[in-house]
Amino acid sequence: MHTTPATTYPGTIGAADAAAPSRDLAVPETQSTIYAWMLTTAALFVILALLGVYMRLVQGGALAGLESWFYPMMTLHGIGMAGLWFVASMACACEALRKHVLASSAVAVFALAGTVVGVVLLLVSVFMGRFAAGWYFLYPLPLQGEWPAWSAVTFLLALTVLGVTWLVWSLDILRAVAVKYSLSHALGWHYLRGETEPAVPPAVIIVTVSMIVNVVALVAAVVVLVLFYLELLTGRPSDALLMKNLTFLFGHTLVNLAMYLAIAVVYDALPDYAGRPWKANKIVAISWNSVLLIVLLAYFHHLYMDFVQPATVQYIGQIASYAASLPAAVVTIFGALLLVYHAPMRWTLASVLFFLGLMGWAIGGIGAVIDSTIVANVRLHNTLWVPAHFHTYMLAGFGIIVGHFYHCGRLQAQGRAERTGYHTVLVTLLVASACGFLAMFYVGGAYSVPRRYSVYPIELAHGATYALWAAVFASVFLLTTVLCLIEVVGSWRKGATGGAEAWVGKSAVAGSLRPSTPNAAIGTSAVSRVDQ
Amino acid sequence: MWISKSVPVSAACLLAVLVAPAGVGAEPPGAVSPTESRLLNRSVPDVPLQLADGRTVSMSSLWQDKPLLVTFFYRNCHGICSPFLGWVRDAVRDDGGSGRDYRILALSFDEEDTAADMRSQADALGLAGDPDWLFAVAEPEALARVTGALDFWYRLDPATGQYDHGALLAAVHEGRVARALLGGSGFVERFRIMARELRGEFIPFYTVPNQTAWRCFSFDPVSGRLYMDWGLLILGVPTLVAMAVTFGLFRRGPRRG
Repeated sequence: MHTTPATTYPGTIGAADAAAPSRDLAVPETQSTIYAWMLTTAALFVILALLGVYMRLVQGGALAGLESWFYPMMTLHGIGMAGLWFVASMACACEALRKHVLASSAVAVFALAGTVVGVVLLLVSVFMGRFAAGWYFLYPLPLQGEWPAWSAVTFLLALTVLGVTWLVWSLDILRAVAVKYSLSHALGWHYLRGETEPAVPPAVIIVTVSMIVNVVALVAAVVVLVLFYLELLTGRPSDALLMKNLTFLFGHTLVNLAMYLAIAVVYDALPDYAGRPWKANKIVAISWNSVLLIVLLAYFHHLYMDFVQPATVQYIGQIASYAASLPAAVVTIFGALLLVYHAPMRWTLASVLFFLGLMGWAIGGIGAVIDSTIVANVRLHNTLWVPAHFHTYMLAGFGIIVGHFYHCGRLQAQGRAERTGYHTVLVTLLVASACGFLAMFYVGGAYSVPRRYSVYPIELAHGATYALWAAVFASVFLLTTVLCLIEVVGSWRKGATGGAEAWVGKSAVAGSLRPSTPNAAIGTSAVSRVDQ
Repeated sequence: MWISKSVPVSAACLLAVLVAPAGVGAEPPGAVSPTESRLLNRSVPDVPLQLADGRTVSMSSLWQDKPLLVTFFYRNCHGICSPFLGWVRDAVRDDGGSGRDYRILALSFDEEDTAADMRSQADALGLAGDPDWLFAVAEPEALARVTGALDFWYRLDPATGQYDHGALLAAVHEGRVARALLGGSGFVERFRIMARELRGEFIPFYTVPNQTAWRCFSFDPVSGRLYMDWGLLILGVPTLVAMAVTFGLFRRGPRRG
C-alpha cells in the first residue's frame, strides 16, 4: 500500500485536530472498553460466521444428517450477527466519542457485561432448547414452535437483557452528549441557520441522531416483549399486525443504526488518514436530521406482503426507503470521495477498510432500494436477494469496525511499521472472497431461489450449487478475516508492549494524554515508513 | 433528578396504555376460529341432490352463476337445526343478498328424510316458494362426500334417536369454500362480513379468537367501515417515549466548566 508522509503536507495535524480536539490532561475520560469489545467481537464473529458456512453447506447438500440444526443455527447466526454488528458499532462510536464527551465508565462496563449475559442466554436457548423461530422472532411463532416453552422464554429473556442493557447504554451516551451540547447544537441545527460556531464534530451529530432513534427502536422492543410476556401469562393473544410492525420498527431500525454508528466512526477517523478535516456543515446537518424521521418509516417495506397493512402505509414505506438512501448514504459517500480526492491520503489497513466499507454500503444500498420497490419486491421478497443486500451491508459494516479496531491499535503502536504488503494480500483476499460469497446470494435471488430453505427441492437444484460455492467463498473470507483479526489484535499487543512512556511521551508533544490522530500519534513514523 | 421522577411516571403511563384496553372490548364479530379457517379453499364435491320439488340437480349447477351457502340439518331435530336455520333465514333477509348475490342450500344429513320432509321444513320456516332457498336430500354416498369435505361431523344417538351434530354455514364459491361459519355467538355479525366478501368486498381485518388485545384496525360489518384501534396508539409509544427522554435529557442545557 502506498503511504504518504503526513508531515509533507503543512497543516495536516492542525486540521485533524480541529475535527477531533484532544482532551486536556486534567479532564477525566471515560474508561475505554474498546479492547474488550474487540476481543468479544472477534470471537463471536468467527463462531457466528462458522454457523453461516454450516448453513450454506447444508443448503448445498454437503452435510447430510445435520439438517435438523439448520433453523436453530439460522436463528443464532441471524440474531447474533445483527446484535454483534450493533454492539461493535456502538463500542466503536463510543470510543470515537471519548474525545468529545464524557460517558459513564460504569455504564460502559455494564453494557459489556449485559451483552455477554444476553449472549449466554441466547446460546442456552438455541443449543439446549433448539429454539428456531428466526432472528425476527416473528409473532406468534416463538410461542407456537416445536421447541420447549422454556427455550422460548429463555430467548425472550435474552432479548430483554440485551434490550435493557442497550437502552441504558444509549441513554447514557445521550446524557453525555447533553452535558456538553444543547440539543440544537448536538443535532447541528445551528448549521441550518447559517452559523458555524460552535464547531460540532459530525460524529457527535450522527451519534446523537442514532441514539434518539435507538431509543425508539429499543422501546419498541420493550413493548413487543411486554406483549409476549402478557400472552404467556394471560393466554390473551396480541394483534399480529401490531406485533410485526413493532418487531420491524425495532429490528430494521437497529440494523440501520449499526451502519450509521459505523459511519460516525468513519467521519471521525478517515480525516486522520486524508490529512483533511471532515467538518459538519449545513448539508451534513440536513442529511442526518432527515435520517431522524425517515429511518423510522422505512421499515414499512418489510410488510409489503401483509395485505392487512393499509395501502397508504405501503407507499410511505417505498418513499421512505428511497429517501433514506439519499441524505445519509449519498452525502456521506460523496463526502468521503471528496475527502479522499487529491488528498495526502495514507492508505493503511484501517483507511482501506473504511473506504471499502463505504463502498459496500453503497452497493448494498442499491440492492436494498431495488428490493424496497414494491413491484420488484413482489418478485424478490423471500428470495436470496434479501440476504444478499443485508450481507453486503453487514460485511461493509464489519469492515469499518475491523478498520476502527486496527485504527485504535495503531494509536498505541507508535513507531511500529505496518506490514503493508501483507495487508494488501489480506484486503485483496477479503474483497475477492466477499464478492464471490455475495454474488452467490445475488444470483440466487435473481433466479428466484427462496431464502430460509434448509434443503432445496429438485426444482431448485441450482440453489444448492450457489450454496456450495458460497460456502467455499465464505470459508476463504472467514480464514482471511481471522488473519486480519490476528493482525488487528497484534497491533494492540505491540502497543501494549510499547510501554506507557511512548504513549505519554509522544502525546505530550501535542499536550494531550492521548494522541488524537494517527498522524499526531505516529508522527515521524509515517515518514520512516515511506523511507523504508 | 428529572430522570428519577420521570421514569416511574413514564413506566406507569406505558403500563396504563398497555393494560387499559385489555379489559375492554368483546370478541370481535369478524373472528375466524381455527376450525373455520381450516375449511378455507377446500374443494367441495359435485354430487347429485334431490330438491324439495322432486327435481334432481348437480350441486355444481347451484354454484355455477353465484356463490352457494351450504348448511346441514335434519327434519326431526329437536335441537339446534330449526333455530340455526331460523338465524340463517333472518340474517339473509337482513342482508338482502339472497338471489342477487348468493343462494342457500339446506341439505339434510338424515337418510330417512325425503323430499316431502324438505317441503315441510321450508313451510315451517316460511320459505316455501322462495326460489333462492333450496332444501335437498342426497344419497348416503354423496352425502358422506359432502359432509366429509366440509368436516361436518354427526352421529346418531340410538337412545334418543337424535343426531349429535354441529351447526355450519359454508360459503362455496366456484366449487371451493370461500368462508365458513360455525354457529355461535355473533353469528349474524359474522354473516354480514361473509356476505360482503361474497360480493367481492375485501375485508382485511380478521382476528383470532380469545379477545385479541390491542388491534391496529377493526372492521364494522354493518357500516363496512374500517376504523383505527388501540394498537395504533401503542405503535406510537416508542416515538413518544424517545421524544420525552431526549427533551428531558437536554432540558438543562450544556454544563460549563
